Amino acid sequence: MDFIIEGIQKAFQLIFTLDSEIFNIVLLSLKVSLTAVILASLLGVYLGFLMAVKDYWGKRFSVALVNTLLALPTVVIGLIVYSLISRRGPLGVFELLYTPSAMILGQFILAVPIIIALTHSAVQGIDKRVKNTALTLGATEAQSAWMVIKEARYAVLAAIITGFGRVIAEVGAAMMLGGNIKGSTRVMTTAIALETTKGEFGFAIALGIILLFVAFSINILLHYFQSKRV
Amino acid sequence: MDKLIFKVRNLKKAYNSKIVLDVDNLNFQAGKIYAIVGPNGSGKTTLLNILNLLEKPDEGKIFFYDQKITDKKNSDTLEIRRKMTLVNQDPFLFHSTVYDNIAYGLKIRSIPSKVQKSRIRSALNIVGLSGFKDRKANQLSGGEAQRVVIARALVIEPEVLFLDEPTASIDQKHIDVVERIIKIIKKEIETTVIFTTHDLSQAYRLADEVISLLDGKIIKKVPENLLRGEIIEEEDGLKWFKTIGNIKFAIVSEKFGLAYISIDPRDIILSYEQFQSSARNSFLGKITKIIEQNHLVKLEIDMGIPLVTIITKESFQDMNLNLGSKIYLTFKASAVKLY
Repeated sequence: MDFIIEGIQKAFQLIFTLDSEIFNIVLLSLKVSLTAVILASLLGVYLGFLMAVKDYWGKRFSVALVNTLLALPTVVIGLIVYSLISRRGPLGVFELLYTPSAMILGQFILAVPIIIALTHSAVQGIDKRVKNTALTLGATEAQSAWMVIKEARYAVLAAIITGFGRVIAEVGAAMMLGGNIKGSTRVMTTAIALETTKGEFGFAIALGIILLFVAFSINILLHYFQSKRV
Repeated sequence: MDKLIFKVRNLKKAYNSKIVLDVDNLNFQAGKIYAIVGPNGSGKTTLLNILNLLEKPDEGKIFFYDQKITDKKNSDTLEIRRKMTLVNQDPFLFHSTVYDNIAYGLKIRSIPSKVQKSRIRSALNIVGLSGFKDRKANQLSGGEAQRVVIARALVIEPEVLFLDEPTASIDQKHIDVVERIIKIIKKEIETTVIFTTHDLSQAYRLADEVISLLDGKIIKKVPENLLRGEIIEEEDGLKWFKTIGNIKFAIVSEKFGLAYISIDPRDIILSYEQFQSSARNSFLGKITKIIEQNHLVKLEIDMGIPLVTIITKESFQDMNLNLGSKIYLTFKASAVKLY
């Protein structure tokens, strides 16, 4: 029992003294996950929007596919990306394996279906009159599309935040693709996994607290945007 | 000669192979106010949407001034679309402030913000909502929203303003305001206004010209007491016309199904007591409006649905009729005209 209490004491000590190793790990986590989510948003919001407003062949299939991908295990993403970027893989020449870029790629694949699916349902829930109103006020097709997204802004932001919450907390892909290299690809989740097995509870608990704090902030933000939905 | 802003030729539009619009020849002069009247489902909204380039017709041609606009691609009509705008029956406001809503049409036209400001101020003045610019759109009442939507349309200074049933879903106070706005537009702005309504008297009050639609076709004269409903046959073999308000009129007909009927207001006999006669239609109603016109008096009577009757001034005085008087309306089955 003592080791837990000691661990917690150590954890707060590390957090309040702004321990540089912890600080760097948190910074890298945020950098990797934010980059992944920003890139995933660019593609995911666009595709989610198209899926909601366009009629095309295979629409129902694509909706089902995206919903299936929501349940994609992170280790499977790790496996797929690993086989693509490992030295023998088709993208091996770029030497991405065990770099932050590899982790960004994995987290990007994890976040895209979430952002597509939630944007799709957000845009579908928008009043059909938005587009016609914009058009009749003289908007181009692109301007009217932008207005639809603007009307769905809170739900789309919620989609992006949900994607971020998912990737910042995942461990499988980060471990397999980043390799948990100290000072280079070690992020909060992989560090917690390692330090726990090493018996460095203080270090692990400190990161756990920070990760929980991030998750808590994300949820507050999410709640705020969801309550703004009209 | 005045310029024609719209020329419509042989226009046809169908939904699921049911023809909703079939207009051979229709002209609109620039700067005038037009009312399009007709019962629900007569094609009014479809006509507005087609003129406003929101929908494409199946057949026919439309000219905007002398430009044919019917076979243009969407991307080529932007310039023309920006010369007109439509206000929907069920107004939609973007989820932002009144100011941002009104500014939208100006922003997408890249109009300088100084000009935007002054135009928005004067548009809010016209609709009588001067102090409303910072209000949130979702905090407005239905009538206020309708006026903001009209301001949002006016601010882009369109050559044509389409108003689809501008007074259908708001209360009397706001109806008066909207009617006043239309009159201001007529007096002060050189905009062509084309609005739809099912209120015939409103149409004549506001418009330079009234166009009536019935089942997608233009009809010369608008009949009074035009009703939509269904022809049914009872077990005894008699034919009845059932209105949407579930009132049944005895009629003479060979047809079945959905139809329009009209009853000539002069064919309706008024009496305080229900009397025995050969006329098969007799209903109790209440007088809701009295309009005197020279030697005649026009009465609006509510009998579940509103009906208009016309009697001579002499009869009106002899019977001592007043607002709220309860009275029987009697007319023959053969007085019900079928379309």
